[in-house]
Amino acid sequence: MRFFHITATAAVLAGLIFLVSCSGMKASPDRFSSHAEYLSAGQQAVCSECHQNEQKGTLKDMASINHSPVFVKSHGLYASTDDRLCASCHKSSFCNDCHASRSEIKPSTLYGYRPDRDMPHRGDFMTLHKIEGKLDPASCYTCHGRSNNERCMACHR
Amino acid sequence: MKMTVSRIIPFISLLALPGAALAADISIDSTTMVRFSQLDVSGGDKQDITPATQFLGLDAKGLGNGNLSLHLHGWGRVDLGETSYGDSKSAGDLSYGYLRYRYDKAEADIRAGRFFVREGIVNEQVDGISARTGLPFGFAISAFGGATIHTEDLYGESSDGKGDYLAGGRLNYRYKGVLELGVSGVYEDEAPTLVNHVNGSNRKVGGDIWLSPHRVIELVGHTSYNTETSEIAEHRYRLNLRPSTDLTISGEFSEQRDQSLLYGWAMFSAPLINPDDKSRISGVTVAYGAAKPVTLSLDYKHYDRETGSADRYGGDLKLSFLDNSLRSGMGYHYLDADSAFAIAGTASASYHTLRAYAMHDTKSYFAAVDAIGQFFDEKIHNEDSAYEASLSLGFHLTPVLALSGDISYGKNPNYQDETKGLVRLTYNSTLDTTGGKK
Repeated sequence: MRFFHITATAAVLAGLIFLVSCSGMKASPDRFSSHAEYLSAGQQAVCSECHQNEQKGTLKDMASINHSPVFVKSHGLYASTDDRLCASCHKSSFCNDCHASRSEIKPSTLYGYRPDRDMPHRGDFMTLHKIEGKLDPASCYTCHGRSNNERCMACHR
Repeated sequence: MKMTVSRIIPFISLLALPGAALAADISIDSTTMVRFSQLDVSGGDKQDITPATQFLGLDAKGLGNGNLSLHLHGWGRVDLGETSYGDSKSAGDLSYGYLRYRYDKAEADIRAGRFFVREGIVNEQVDGISARTGLPFGFAISAFGGATIHTEDLYGESSDGKGDYLAGGRLNYRYKGVLELGVSGVYEDEAPTLVNHVNGSNRKVGGDIWLSPHRVIELVGHTSYNTETSEIAEHRYRLNLRPSTDLTISGEFSEQRDQSLLYGWAMFSAPLINPDDKSRISGVTVAYGAAKPVTLSLDYKHYDRETGSADRYGGDLKLSFLDNSLRSGMGYHYLDADSAFAIAGTASASYHTLRAYAMHDTKSYFAAVDAIGQFFDEKIHNEDSAYEASLSLGFHLTPVLALSGDISYGKNPNYQDETKGLVRLTYNSTLDTTGGKK
């Protein structure tokens, strides 16, 4: 059965690589070649140059990626549809500060010098998680997934 | 054999390290921390804990023909004093380590190694390979496959309850700057049989949407379906209205069938959860002034579960002065919850949260003060509140090197006194213009 899984995965990936090699037929240009991630040293990115051109109307408006308090609270919905857009400015480790299989330190402790950042679990979350976990278990799952952290298992047996 | 195969892939990425030294753009992030904690456990002895932790990240671009890049991030910890946790005085983890090749056309790339996959309803960490590419007529496709990242064995088990391999992907369609639709799924190997826990296989499919027919309105969200339970696992949607550039009015709705969403989480024996148990959240947030000197947000959330309901409401105010070098904020929230959510042995789950902070960041030094308090409607373990106050002070030794220290004091139902301190050395060289950790 596992052999089947590996073979199927390899077949899918091989098909994708084939598609990539044939991608010259794609009419539209590569969006990401113009993104900040690929700019050369010293070259400045002006997001609004392309993303606020209503007349052009072919790109997401800046408003949808502007980091308002609403965006910060629901950033996962945006990241899951286009994490390369996040990568234009943030490294993967920026996500891993909170979203990781094994987290060593509370993000708010790691970045104690940045209280302006909206880090989860400030204060006595050891006590409060007994309330919040019952109230909204999906919110635990969003970040911690099935990580089975040894600190969780100390009590959750 | 299984372990050998699953772990070889991320270490292949390490072979690229010598080549990384020749890369055009190299970025290194390093944080070295030594923490000092004295914990006075209620009814127990005082504990002195001194863990030293090193976080290290490397991003090297421009390898090979210029399209290849290497990305690594991980941490290691050694306890200098008493064991900080568990039986071992050391621990570590490779969060990710992968090679990425970016094609010049069709927004295509391939990754090999250990990486996170965030595609539609999929949120996994894999030792394997992923690829994605654009297709004609606005379509795009991505796929991944490899070995599951196993974590600690569950208590009394010889497994963490996860299958050994997983695969998945996403197909999406994008129409200009107006619409994006996606279908995605993950299929994990059969979950192992456990002795003391009940387990289920991690297999889901789902769809996601982003719709913005006009800049003043935006709908974003997803729905996932568990193919093992044959039920919807989760709906999660948000509708944003932006009548002006400074004002956002946002409504949210989410509903989870707990068994189907958490089905593969063996630690909680999720397949045993009553299939009828649902969590439903609806709420509204009004936010004014993103990235402005004054940012104000007010929010309300209603929680509805089989066991009871709750409401949470409050607001946050953020202020910025002196060209953003001086920042402060304060917030207040109140959770008004049914007693069904209370901690065992306590009468109420309702509590107030109050927080305030200020920070100053200059070219030579940076300082921050932060205080948070939680005030319970009814005492929890004979305490009517929990609070923590911290002070941080640091110096920019060079533009890329900073030395800082934090000290905090708190009191809560778990610890009569909790005094913590740390010394932190941060090196963050970003030798290109891609932003970095902000």
